Amino acid sequence: MNSRERLLTALRHEEADRIPIDLGSTDVSGMNCLVYKGFRRLLGLPDKPIRPMVTSGSDPSLLTFYNMVAEVEKEVLDMLCIDVISINRTLEPTLGDRRLSKAFINNRWQVVELGFKQWYWREWDLTIEIPDYIDIVESGDRYIASLGGREHAIAPKRSFYFNSRRFSTPLKNVKSIDDIKNFNWDFYKISDMVLEDLRRRAEYLYRNTDYGLIYFRVGSIHAWPQDLRGWTQWLADLRLRKALAEAILDHVMDVVMYNTKKIIDNVGCYVQVIGLADDLGTEESPQISAQMFRDVYKHRYEEIFTYIKRYSKAYTFLHSDGAIYPLIRELINTGLDILNPIQISAKGMEAEKLKKEFGEQLTFWGGGADTQHILPFRKQEEIVEHVKKLIKIFALGGGYVYAPIHNIQPNTPPENIAAMFRTAYDYGKYPILNI
Amino acid sequence: MSILEFIRNSLANLDASLTLKYVSDSLKHDISIMDIINSLADGMKLIGKKYEENEYFIADLIAAVEIFNESMNILKPKILERRETKPFGKVVIGTVEGDIHDVGKNLVKILLEANGFEVVDLGVDVSSEKFVDAVKQHKPDIVGISTLLTSTMINMRNIVEALEGEGLRNDVKIVIGGAPVTQQFAESIGADAYGENAFKAVEICKNLVKK
Repeated sequence: MNSRERLLTALRHEEADRIPIDLGSTDVSGMNCLVYKGFRRLLGLPDKPIRPMVTSGSDPSLLTFYNMVAEVEKEVLDMLCIDVISINRTLEPTLGDRRLSKAFINNRWQVVELGFKQWYWREWDLTIEIPDYIDIVESGDRYIASLGGREHAIAPKRSFYFNSRRFSTPLKNVKSIDDIKNFNWDFYKISDMVLEDLRRRAEYLYRNTDYGLIYFRVGSIHAWPQDLRGWTQWLADLRLRKALAEAILDHVMDVVMYNTKKIIDNVGCYVQVIGLADDLGTEESPQISAQMFRDVYKHRYEEIFTYIKRYSKAYTFLHSDGAIYPLIRELINTGLDILNPIQISAKGMEAEKLKKEFGEQLTFWGGGADTQHILPFRKQEEIVEHVKKLIKIFALGGGYVYAPIHNIQPNTPPENIAAMFRTAYDYGKYPILNI
Repeated sequence: MSILEFIRNSLANLDASLTLKYVSDSLKHDISIMDIINSLADGMKLIGKKYEENEYFIADLIAAVEIFNESMNILKPKILERRETKPFGKVVIGTVEGDIHDVGKNLVKILLEANGFEVVDLGVDVSSEKFVDAVKQHKPDIVGISTLLTSTMINMRNIVEALEGEGLRNDVKIVIGGAPVTQQFAESIGADAYGENAFKAVEICKNLVKK
């Protein structure tokens, strides 16, 4: 059984030869660049510059590296028996490491061939490869990343990530529905040149590799307006400025549906999974009530998922952090097939309960190790027991793709990561024995 | 129902226009500023209760903070006119070094202010030196430290140690909070308390000041 068949078997809720494993098929199931450097060393691989994954984040036309999640080289994929990759990869196996992207050059946005240059993060003794149209300069106790001379993201020097949020709330001050109408929404629509490039890359991976293939971040309908307006302001909008919020959401949907259709037209026959990213939870509860979810988001998710399923064979995937138990049934009813990252430490997200209540309809993609409280801090033997216990809960009957909960954080000992993947492979063979 | 009860209830129901109307009306009727602020604080308390009971969510909390802030903007000129009350206590607050997330910290700050605390906000990515300087300068009762990130959480320990190193540790209580933080972690770094959410953090601060 090859990786793609293994993934599809799991997604059909059948038991394959073993649980499919993910590392780095999305920028929310990967490993921080700094810890990845140490992990490569542990695997006996030579030091080399680490390439952060270029992702589109909330801005679908702009690729950035700010989350500092490493692209995983083929040699590491092979060593860990990883089954699924992104069609957006720039490293082997892929059709050349240059892909098309939009960049702000000569005072205008244009489609360019994305190349990489090296940048050294002195505090961490870490050389990374960043998109060549981004410049990073020191400013006091921070690094500032600029794009065509415009400041775009900052990182405190002893941080592990860049943050672009404070530069990217273009709708923060809008007051009227006309302001919203006049906003340049078309800017966020995926360009045909980028699509054609993506189509060639997806076709290549589909025909020449056995990996399961994912397209992640086709859009978001909660996190994106939250970025456009500001995290807290959007939540207040939903409660206090409903007409404004609905007007924004109509435009957001227009863009997300445009991009979804284009993605399906171009790569829908090559990918097995199409993913959205929306964070609907906090550590304690959803950000919004189930009633507000039904009023504002449910029909919109339904429109997106229904389209994906009608016009492709791809399974629908949603990334949402946090305690979202009260929304899961609603999400399944909108046509969601796969949920990630299954934050089992959040309130009401106990693994047993989730598998029992939703396991027949929903594939869990994640939940395989607590990267917040356990993976960085416990002994290897404890990691092994932790992973075994979770596999035993989630794996029965398929409907499970192994991944830790969200990205593996800096300061996590590489030995713990190795123990986690080893256990996922060794104990992930069906039938899962009483371990 | 008195106008003060109307203020409390309309805030608790997240009715922005009614809350602001009642606040303006009560000023016209010469009701004491402190009574108005206390009604708003009572409204926030009711909201906290609804949050604990899963009737309200973070979106509701943030909407409440917005209404509260707008109400305070109406009151501000009057507050400056007669500054008679002594703050309940003083808190220096900030997000830990390496982390620039501020939603949680800002919520705690506004709820502390609603409850009569004076808050000195050091912002985000605050080094232990800055915390030490602020403690020397402002002499707070409490130091509040926030983080969202597992990777920077450990820097909270440096702040506790820096305060110890300067001989200031016994002058303040240290309260920490944020997504990855647990009671166990708080104990392990020698903090005095852990606030599981913004409302609990305020309750803890009140109790610590009373002691």
